[in-house]
Amino acid sequence: MRKSLLGKSFATFVLLPFCLLMAFPFVWMLLTSLREQNTIFNGPIIPRKFTGTAYRDAWTSIEFPLHFWNSVWITSVTVIGVLIFATLSGYAFAKLDFPFRNTLFVLLLTTLMMPSTALIIPLYLELKSFGLLDSQAGLLVLYISGSAPFAMFLMRAFFQTLPDELIEAARVDGGSELTIFRRVILPLTRPGIATVVIFQFLSTWNEFLIANTVLRNTDSLPLQPVLFTLMGQYSTNWPALTAGLTLSVVPVVIVYVRMQRQFVAGMMLGAVKN
Amino acid sequence: MATAQFFGTPLRKSQRVAGYLFVLPTFVLFLGFVLWPILYTAYLSLTSWGGFGAPRFVNLDNYSRMLHDPVARRALIVTLVLTGVTTAILTFLGLVTAVLVNVIWPKVGVVVRTILFIPGIVSFVVSAVLWKLIYDPNIGTLNRLLGAIGLDSLQHQWLADHKTVLPAIIVVTVWGGLGFNMLIYFAGLQSIDPNLYEAAAMDGANTVQQFRHITVPSLRIVTGLIVSLGLLNGFKAFDVIFVMTGGGPNHASEVLGTYLYSLAFGSTSGSIPQLGYASAFSVVTMVLCTLAVIAQLWLTRRADR
Repeated sequence: MRKSLLGKSFATFVLLPFCLLMAFPFVWMLLTSLREQNTIFNGPIIPRKFTGTAYRDAWTSIEFPLHFWNSVWITSVTVIGVLIFATLSGYAFAKLDFPFRNTLFVLLLTTLMMPSTALIIPLYLELKSFGLLDSQAGLLVLYISGSAPFAMFLMRAFFQTLPDELIEAARVDGGSELTIFRRVILPLTRPGIATVVIFQFLSTWNEFLIANTVLRNTDSLPLQPVLFTLMGQYSTNWPALTAGLTLSVVPVVIVYVRMQRQFVAGMMLGAVKN
Repeated sequence: MATAQFFGTPLRKSQRVAGYLFVLPTFVLFLGFVLWPILYTAYLSLTSWGGFGAPRFVNLDNYSRMLHDPVARRALIVTLVLTGVTTAILTFLGLVTAVLVNVIWPKVGVVVRTILFIPGIVSFVVSAVLWKLIYDPNIGTLNRLLGAIGLDSLQHQWLADHKTVLPAIIVVTVWGGLGFNMLIYFAGLQSIDPNLYEAAAMDGANTVQQFRHITVPSLRIVTGLIVSLGLLNGFKAFDVIFVMTGGGPNHASEVLGTYLYSLAFGSTSGSIPQLGYASAFSVVTMVLCTLAVIAQLWLTRRADR
């Protein structure tokens, strides 16, 4: 089954129906969000008449814009915070020489295997004792500290590809380590930064467990916990429910499509080095 | 060499200082919000605590209670079964789809890869809600499709029947995770030296033999990675099950994550949170995840030799 015409036809024959199957839930989501509420019980699977009223319902009745902007805000701050922490430490682990470097690095990497389900109880209690429960600030601290090590790991891999001579030369020119980092190194790591941004964007935008646990005040909630409660509220208003889902997915799809290359590159790097 | 040594000492020192300063912020966060929680939950797992007053030290009581708690046993078994089956399916399907995508016309391949990958970038909440609607017993699309093609007898209360609830969850997890595995395998396939296949073909090896003796061994490290990520994702499963079934019906789909969550933050209003007992499940989850990583490191090292 090498790349003969026979092989190609066989692959198409198998993959085409499989792709249809995989894409079906999204196609169905779109179709349902565009149909009239009274046709979900007995109307045909492909509606005869399309309407956008469900989007208006979802947009207005659950304060969709408020939660949407909560998500945008929380995600943006997390991405920026993670970037600052991860580029600094990733650079140090890749290019600076100091005692216990490897020990510290391995220690930080243990974060990657600790799932949030296992840490949710102590994290909740910790925020409670700091008085940060129910505040976006508390959520942001947890997001940044939980994600910085993986981003650091990615950034380290990118920094390692830069030649040492470059840094040596800058040192001889008399720049401090921080100046070298900001002026010489950072501008050269755009692809690495892009990878971290898209990864972090997707994982923070999609996070549910921690947000749903530490935020109780409805006004400060990001989208994912709201979608979950929406499921209960709109258990029969499927057009509004699927419209809400669709709206929540739009930014993710846009970012993915626009930054697909960096995403795949970063995933390979992360995967291979893991 | 003399100049290097002359410059060496102050340069080294400034590097050392900068190194620690650059790592410090991340390390402080790590101490406060990763290491401390790990130790704290390990301590809590040895106590009995409702959230008020001081935790009461009870030694290993929570762990022995776990052994006699039928729901705990059920949760552990379901976690292991879901993890094992999902990982096996995802590894196999990931390899098969990657091989097919690698064979197909490159332009078609790009489209196929995107379609298979998109389910993996939406949140678990979105996919769980979506599939919950598809599985809906009354107006769900799955039952309606079955009815439309005359298979009424196969119609089910998919998420309310303890026989079908786990397969239903596995379908959702595979749907979401396949694209990731396919992409990693695809990258692995592309890095295999094509000359190997040519040489094998000249020696008279057929396609199946080439696949067994070149493709599969070359992908050993990738497979190790995919399996261990599959195990990690399985052990920490929460979102999909929490949203679709909440662990029901009657704990049929209860996993460690959902059970510890209901013990600690219980949905049953009025009941006292069992933070100590719940923490014991956190510890079990962490141990399982650590084992998955150790297994992968061990396998990779063996494959390297």
